[in-house]
Amino acid sequence: MATVEYRRIGKSYGAVEVLKELDLTVEDGTFVVLLGASGCGKTTLLRMTAGLETISAGELSIDGKVVNTVHPRDRDVAMVFQNYALYPTMTVRENIGFSLEVAKKSKAEVAEMVENAARVLNLTEYLDRKPAALSGGQRQRVAMGRAMVRNAKVFLFDEPLSNLDAKLRAHMRVEIRQLHNRLGATTIYVTHDQIEAMTMADRIVLMKDGSIVQEGSPDDLYDRPNSLFVAEFIGTPQINSLEGRIVDDGGSPAFETGGIHVALPAGYGAHTGRRVICGIRPSDVTLDPDGPLRGTMSIAEKTGADVQFYVDIDGREFVAVAPRASYVSAGTTLAFAVAPEKLHMFDAETGRRIEL
Amino acid sequence: MMVRSKSSRMVRTIVGWAVVALFAFPLYYWMTVAFKEGNEIFNWPPKVWSFTPTIKNFEEVFGISFGFGFGEQREVLPGGGNFRMGPRLWDSIVIAILSTALAITIATLASYALSRMNFRGRHHFVSWVLSTRMMPPVAVAIPIFFIYKDIGLLDTYTGVILIHALMNLPLAVLLMKSFFDDIPGEIDESALVDGASRWLIFRRIVLPMVKGGIAATAVLCFIFSWTEFLFVLTLTQTGLKTVPVVSSTFVTSTGTAWGSMAALGAAAMIPAFIFILLVQKHLVRGLTLGSVKQ
Ligand SMILES: Nc1ncnc2c1ncn2[C@@H]1O[C@H](COP(=O)(O)OP(=O)(O)OP(=O)(O)O)[C@@H](O)[C@H]1O
Ligand SMILES: [Mg+2]
Repeated sequence: MATVEYRRIGKSYGAVEVLKELDLTVEDGTFVVLLGASGCGKTTLLRMTAGLETISAGELSIDGKVVNTVHPRDRDVAMVFQNYALYPTMTVRENIGFSLEVAKKSKAEVAEMVENAARVLNLTEYLDRKPAALSGGQRQRVAMGRAMVRNAKVFLFDEPLSNLDAKLRAHMRVEIRQLHNRLGATTIYVTHDQIEAMTMADRIVLMKDGSIVQEGSPDDLYDRPNSLFVAEFIGTPQINSLEGRIVDDGGSPAFETGGIHVALPAGYGAHTGRRVICGIRPSDVTLDPDGPLRGTMSIAEKTGADVQFYVDIDGREFVAVAPRASYVSAGTTLAFAVAPEKLHMFDAETGRRIEL
Repeated sequence: MMVRSKSSRMVRTIVGWAVVALFAFPLYYWMTVAFKEGNEIFNWPPKVWSFTPTIKNFEEVFGISFGFGFGEQREVLPGGGNFRMGPRLWDSIVIAILSTALAITIATLASYALSRMNFRGRHHFVSWVLSTRMMPPVAVAIPIFFIYKDIGLLDTYTGVILIHALMNLPLAVLLMKSFFDDIPGEIDESALVDGASRWLIFRRIVLPMVKGGIAATAVLCFIFSWTEFLFVLTLTQTGLKTVPVVSSTFVTSTGTAWGSMAALGAAAMIPAFIFILLVQKHLVRGLTLGSVKQ
C-alpha cells in the first residue's frame, strides 16, 4: 500500500551536513531496520519521514506521492519517539486513545482499541495512571501503544524498546513483528540492538555519518558484509580482524600474517600480494589441534550454551566461540581451524570487501 | 534527607518565625490602626496588643452601617466626611480581574506561537516585545491621555483595563514563553503526527501543562493592576478610581485620615488575598513529569 522512497535525500543544519544524498526504497509492507552508531542521522531520517523536519535536498515520496511539503498530519504515519513524548496531563488510557479521539472514532470503539492495545502491552492495570507514575519501561510501552492503535500507512519506531529488560524486550519484539504481520504496514524501525535488527528486519539499512553503508537482508549483512565497518558492526562477539597479505602457498592462495597461514578459496589467487584484512567470525572457527590459528588462551568465559575463548594470536586478541563441553582453563594453548569459505577478505587500505 | 539534631531544628524554627514576624508585623500594625479610634492611633507608645477595637473607620469609609453601596458612584469628598469607598473597591476588582484575564489570554497565545513556530525575525520580535516595557510609564501616560480623550476611552473601565493589560503583556509573554519552552517539542510533534491540529494540541495538551505558569503569571499581573497608580490617576476622572489612587485622597490639607486609609487598605487586601488563594492551588510544579526520557 505504501512504498517509501528516498531520492538523494540531504539534510543540513546550517553548515553541518547530517544526511548526504541518501537513496533508499522501503518496499510496501516491509519491515526495515535502521542501524547505526549514535549520531549517524537515524532520528533525523525518521523525523523527515514524519514531516517534522524539513528536507534540505532530494525527494521523499510515500505511496508514489512526493510529500516533501506535506503536513505531518496528512502523511498518515505513526511514530514512536526516542524519548516517548507522552502527554503528561493525560492518563495512559487518554494517551493511547488520543489519536482515535482526534480521528473522531466512537467512544465504544476507542475504549475497545485502547483495551486491546493495553492487554498486548501488559498495561491494563496502569490505564488510569498518569505517565509520571510509571516506570521507564511502562512509559515506553505506552508510547508503543499510542502507535499500535493507529491504522497508519507507515510506522516509524525510534528505539522503542531501549528501556525494557531482556525478557520484556524479547516479548515486545514478537509483539511488534506480529503487529506488523497483521497490519502489513510499512515499518521503519531504528535500533542500536543488533539482535533486534537481525530478528525483526526484512531488510537492514546500516548507516554511518549520514550515509548508507549497506542495505540488505539480515543474512546479506552477516554473510557478505561489503566493508570491514559492516563486518565489525554486525555480529556479537565482534568479528576478529587480522591484518596481513595474500600469498601463494604452493599453487593455492593463503592469508599470511606473522607465522600464520590460512588457506583461502582458489578465487583469491588473482589477488596474490595484496595487503588485506582478514575477518573471521568467532562462531565460524572450530577447535582443531592441527588448525592454523594457534595461541595461548587467556580468558575462558562461559555464556550459557557456549564458551568464549580469548586467545592471543600473533600478539593480538582473538575471540572464538566453542561449545561449552570444550571448556578448558586459562593458560592452555588452543588451535582453531576455519573453513576457507567462511573467511571475509577486505582491502587493507579502503576496508572494502574483496569480491571473488 | 539528613536526620537533623533537635537543637538545629529548634534554631530553624526560631529563625523561621522571626522572619515571618518581620514581614507580618507591619501588616498587623496596619490592621490595628484600621480598628482604632482617631486619637488612639497617635498614642505614644503605640498600643499594639491592647486597645478598644472599633469598626468606625470601616463604617466611615464604606458608608453608613457597613452597606456597600455598589450602585452609587459618588465622588470622593476630600477632607473627610462620608467617603463611600465600596464602589472604588469594586472598580479595583473589575479592573484587576479583567485586565489580568486579557493579558493572560493574549500572552498565552502569543508566547505559544513564539515558542513553537518558526518565522522570520522571531528573536527580534521577542526583544521588541520586551523593549516596549523599557520606557518609563510616565513617558507614555500623557500621550495616552490625549489618545484616550480623542477616542473616548478616558474615564472608562475599558480604557484602564486595556492599559493595564498592555503594561503587563511584555512580562507575561516572556514568562509564558519560558514555560512553553520548557515543554519538549516532541510532545507537540507526537500529537501532530497523530493527526491533531495546532489548536487542538494547544488546548488539549500544552495548555494543561502550563497551568502552573499561567497561575504564576496571573498573580503577577493581578498585583500590578491592583497596585498601579499612575495610569489610573491620569486616565480617570469621576467615572472610576482604583484603591491606590483614592487612598491618596485621604491625605488632605487638613491632615491625613490615617484610620480611614488603614481601613481601606485592610479591606483592599481581602480581594487580592482571595484571588491569590484561588490561583495558588494551580501553582504546582512538575506538570511535565514522566513525559520524556530524562
Ligand atoms: N538542530 C540541530 N542542529 C545541528 N545539528 C543537529 C541538530 N539536530 C541533530 N543534529 C546532528 O545531527 C546528527 C544526527 O542526529 P540524530 O539525532 O539523527 O542521530 P541518531 O542517529 O538518531 O543518534 P542516536 O542513536 O544517538 O539517537 C548528530 O550528529 C546531531 O549532532
Ligand atoms: Mg536517535
